[in-house]
Amino acid sequence: MTTSTDRAGSRRGTAAPGTGQQVLRHRMKPGRWARELGWRHVVGVLAVLYAVFPIVYVVSASLSPTGTLTGSNELFAQVSGVNYAELGDTKFWTWMGNTLVIGVATAVGTVLMGAAAAYAFSRFRFAGRRLGLTSLLIIQMFPQMLAFVAIFLLLISLGEVVPALGLNSKLALICVYLGGALGVNTFLMYGFFNTVPRELDEAAKIDGASHAQVYWTIILRLVTPILAVVALLSFISTFGEFIIARVVLQSESNWTLAVGLYGWVSSLLEANWGLFAAGAVLSAIPVLALFLFLQKYIVGGLTAGSVKG
Amino acid sequence: MRRSILLASALATTLALTACGSGEPSGDSSADADASAKPSALGSLTVWVDETREAAVTTAAEAYEAESGVDVEIVQKNFEDIRADFLAQVPTGEGPDITVGAHDWLGEFTANGVVAPIELGDKAGDFIPVSVQAFTQDGQVYGLPYAIENIALIRNTELAPEAPKTYDDMVAAGKKAGTKFPFLIQSDGDKGDPYTYYPFQTSFGAPVFEQNDDGSYRPELALGGENGEAFATWLGEQGDEGNLSIDISYDIAVEAFAKGQSPFVIGGPWMLEQFKDLDLAVDPIPAPGDQPAQPFVGVQGFYVSAQSKNALLANDFLVNYMSTPEAQTALFEAGGRPPALVEAADAASEDPLVAGFREVGASAVPMPSIPEMGSVWSFWGVTEASIISGKADDPVKAWNKMVSDIEGALG
Amino acid sequence: MSRARYKGAEAGSGTFSGAGFAVKLVLIALVDALGVFGVLAAWRAGSWGILAAMVALLVAANWVYFTKRALPLKYILPGLAFLLVYQVYVVGYTGYVAFTNYGDGHNSTKEQAVDALLVQNERRVEGSPALPLTVVEDGDGELGFAVVEDGAAEVGTAEEPLVAAPDATIDAGAVTEVPGWTVLDRATVLQRQDEVTTLRVPVSDDAADGSVRTQDARTGYVFQPVLEYDEAADTMTDTSTGVVYTPNDDGQFESADGETLPVGWRVTVGFENFATAFGDERYAGPFVKILLWTFAFAVLSVVTTFALGMFLAMVFNDPRLRGRKVYRTLMILPYAMPGFLAALLWSGMLNKSFGVINQVLLGGAAIPWLTDPWLAKLSVLGVNLWLGFPYMFLICTGALQSLPGDVYEAARIDGAGKWRTWRSITMPLLLVATAPLLISSFAFNFNNFTLIKMLTGGGPRFDDASVPLGHTDILISMVYNVSGLDGSAPRDYGLASALSIVIFVVVGVISAIAFRQTRKLEELS
Repeated sequence: MTTSTDRAGSRRGTAAPGTGQQVLRHRMKPGRWARELGWRHVVGVLAVLYAVFPIVYVVSASLSPTGTLTGSNELFAQVSGVNYAELGDTKFWTWMGNTLVIGVATAVGTVLMGAAAAYAFSRFRFAGRRLGLTSLLIIQMFPQMLAFVAIFLLLISLGEVVPALGLNSKLALICVYLGGALGVNTFLMYGFFNTVPRELDEAAKIDGASHAQVYWTIILRLVTPILAVVALLSFISTFGEFIIARVVLQSESNWTLAVGLYGWVSSLLEANWGLFAAGAVLSAIPVLALFLFLQKYIVGGLTAGSVKG
Repeated sequence: MRRSILLASALATTLALTACGSGEPSGDSSADADASAKPSALGSLTVWVDETREAAVTTAAEAYEAESGVDVEIVQKNFEDIRADFLAQVPTGEGPDITVGAHDWLGEFTANGVVAPIELGDKAGDFIPVSVQAFTQDGQVYGLPYAIENIALIRNTELAPEAPKTYDDMVAAGKKAGTKFPFLIQSDGDKGDPYTYYPFQTSFGAPVFEQNDDGSYRPELALGGENGEAFATWLGEQGDEGNLSIDISYDIAVEAFAKGQSPFVIGGPWMLEQFKDLDLAVDPIPAPGDQPAQPFVGVQGFYVSAQSKNALLANDFLVNYMSTPEAQTALFEAGGRPPALVEAADAASEDPLVAGFREVGASAVPMPSIPEMGSVWSFWGVTEASIISGKADDPVKAWNKMVSDIEGALG
Repeated sequence: MSRARYKGAEAGSGTFSGAGFAVKLVLIALVDALGVFGVLAAWRAGSWGILAAMVALLVAANWVYFTKRALPLKYILPGLAFLLVYQVYVVGYTGYVAFTNYGDGHNSTKEQAVDALLVQNERRVEGSPALPLTVVEDGDGELGFAVVEDGAAEVGTAEEPLVAAPDATIDAGAVTEVPGWTVLDRATVLQRQDEVTTLRVPVSDDAADGSVRTQDARTGYVFQPVLEYDEAADTMTDTSTGVVYTPNDDGQFESADGETLPVGWRVTVGFENFATAFGDERYAGPFVKILLWTFAFAVLSVVTTFALGMFLAMVFNDPRLRGRKVYRTLMILPYAMPGFLAALLWSGMLNKSFGVINQVLLGGAAIPWLTDPWLAKLSVLGVNLWLGFPYMFLICTGALQSLPGDVYEAARIDGAGKWRTWRSITMPLLLVATAPLLISSFAFNFNNFTLIKMLTGGGPRFDDASVPLGHTDILISMVYNVSGLDGSAPRDYGLASALSIVIFVVVGVISAIAFRQTRKLEELS
């Protein structure tokens, strides 16, 4: 019991990371470097090539003033910023703003509600716990193909009562997304919460902490990495979702990026690939920025652990 | 402690409620006051448009707003989504008052009772007859047409100075030009593209459905039989020779033609913007069979929702404002499709390319708007593609299987 | 050390719980206020269903947060409320639709169908002129039309047929003033447009002459109804043939000899949709193939993405590795692209004659990536791997952080090799942490309609089947086809809902079983 408390304690105090790694890196001999790290770079480069190659294609299309997305294999044959400049004439930046608002709100809501539920499932034993967990998992599996019909009707009736929750409202869309806040995310966090030793909160409770105190001050701090992962996942899935969004958000100035971008290419005859590609490239930036920002939390636990190990 | 909780929350609730309670009714009444003061709040029209037509409709709407004091709200939708969304939303009372749409949606729209007839009155005579005919069902007109679109042969005059008379002429001229492709016609991979290939099929005398005397279709397949088999055989031969290929997608065809890799491409006015740098001519599609090659004509127009609460405004706007030469010309300039109004079409025909498309369209046939057409498309294209690619060894057999499969789907 | 830490916490715990309580009170008060506002609004709007749901949620919230007995619910309720409203309701509604004939031809309520039939079957009397029209009102507020026919003014209402109004003023072809009547200005006409568009002014006492109606309040035409609805008897009568149509059980008007009118309405049809779902013989052959491929696709997608994601997560889990941030960020890229774009992009890249894969990477090969049945399946899996591995990579990276370091230490002390450590420690622990996600990833891919639709469209088609289905179609895309949502047949939401429910049950049962297995696994470890 004491060991795990200590370990967790030292995790929390992410005192001075980095110094240990620095020393290790300099001391390593070439042979050992190749064996332990070098091959990882090889794998990394290959994986990055696989991941990035199709995207290079999109970047090339976004820089081409005339080209189509699939018609040309000459990458970067023409380079011009025309498409990017043209984005200014569209509602692209409005959509970007909408997407950020909706994405961030959904991510925050998902993390708060999902973590709370995961805590309850992980720490309390109550009637219907297993059934609840299984139902959560199952309900998410309903084929969403037809969901738009029901969601549309639901929002019409809600909108008659509270317009802000009705059609064409960003708030309504956030609510719909938050309907999925439990489920997969709860599971992700539930598994992670379970790895935090139960002895920790028991000790705290013996010391007089309330359940809310244990949750907010102990557990949540220890599970920061998974909170960051869930926030990122939620943000990304909101970012790419367009089937429900285009049913809910009817006026163009309320659209999200995915809805708007899809509109540019949904009609193949009038597809605006150049504009679309430029938009797609720019729209990937917030996701990457968020990932870079959250990365230190995602790997935060690792650094702390490795210092000790 | 207990009591204090209840007390506190009750207090907070009441406070919040009074805030809401006092705020809400006054908000309502002020809205009412606004409504009676401003005539524009009397009526407002919601119009669904797609991106290309948005600017043009907005211009017409502004003119209407200025004259009538009515708010017109333009909602931009993806053209592909409009059909299903209109069907789903109109019965709920949501939906728009007016939407743009294609004439071949008509059968489905009337079967579901989501569109209301439009009485064009004497204005009907101002439109090119085929455009009004396309929106007519059972003697009632259901849409205000604004554009007619059809494909034709687009020719790069530098590579081929003369219009080909027959299909073989075209292939020969294409080969003589020494370009990468003798001519270009798009296909959507193994899903095929029966719309673009249709003129070839009609030249063999195998239209898709039987036509009534008034030009409307009845759900009896006509694409089978000897004529259909002859077309299938021809498709197989041309596929073997490499003149037709299912790998040439729309993108590839447009890109290749723009780069001067072929003197001919079969396509519509929507392609022209990509060919701005070329010297072009638009000719009739050369027939491989012994009958004229007739492409499909598609008519685009505006529908009025059957559940519109502003039917009066909607009809007024369409019949008296969207049918003017100015409005139709603006739509033409936005979308590039030749206008349906004769006067606007005449003006647009000063451009020889537009005139070329219009001339081909004059001898074309309207795309069937009967709901049964939906069952045809998916079998039709795939079969054509499998014959062209050589996947189906026996074109005639594949064609006949297609005919019986469609009959099975029609029930 | 830990004691001291919590002593400190304890010392401050009084203030904490006080502050926490205040926060709770404020939040609940806020929720209550919003809730009561919602209830009142629902009352005003007459939405009793919403009212009941709101009251229930409010009562539940207050009870949960002020009782000591519902501790777990305190944490679950917020998410649960959203789940109930926006997910459970949706499933329930779809379940309801499964028992109706909602779809093409049965799209709306009976009232709307009647209206539509009447509107569609009102014909302009042939050869009748266009009449310049003015909307007028008599002293009692009853609306009427004043029209100009052959230069002479006539006026009438719904009750009184048109009569000549010789003393009316005609200006620019239209009536501008009629003694005894008020000419309505445009604004009033618009305000009463419902009355105006439904007004029919008979031409004469003989109903067969038809009546004047207008659609724009500027021009009137003489119309003649072909269908007439008798509200009391609930029947439709064709005025030209005299045939009477009565409503049938399928939500249509039907004549005695079985002929139906085109526009119908929604009715419940019991289990009919479920019977249809399993009754069509044309689908029997492809169904088995599609079912097998759906399972193979879903399972293989999970296995491949997880394997690659886990492998990469472990490779980059070494803190000494330089540039980890860059690698990780670049590998997230596929995930940052909307899924539909990726599928469209890959379908272009895999084009047999022009795609970059064949043309550039394979030096002009002509490999039919998307048109050969087996290669198409491979391509679908490959593209899904590209789309899905960053997710698994993220999950595994996150999960790896949580693995207890002391276990590794113990393993190292025991002299376990890398492979053994991985096989008996890392892998099982990772699986326990991610098993539910793998199950839900399975379910997601089971219904991964977007990928199939955008990449192959289900193709290449089966040569031997009589329905438009292909080698890469999965169950959900088959549903799309069967129920006509792809436009290849009349849309049938009832049937689609019934099939969705069936698929849901299949996936749900499989997942529940798999879930129970992982619970056992968890308890073992």
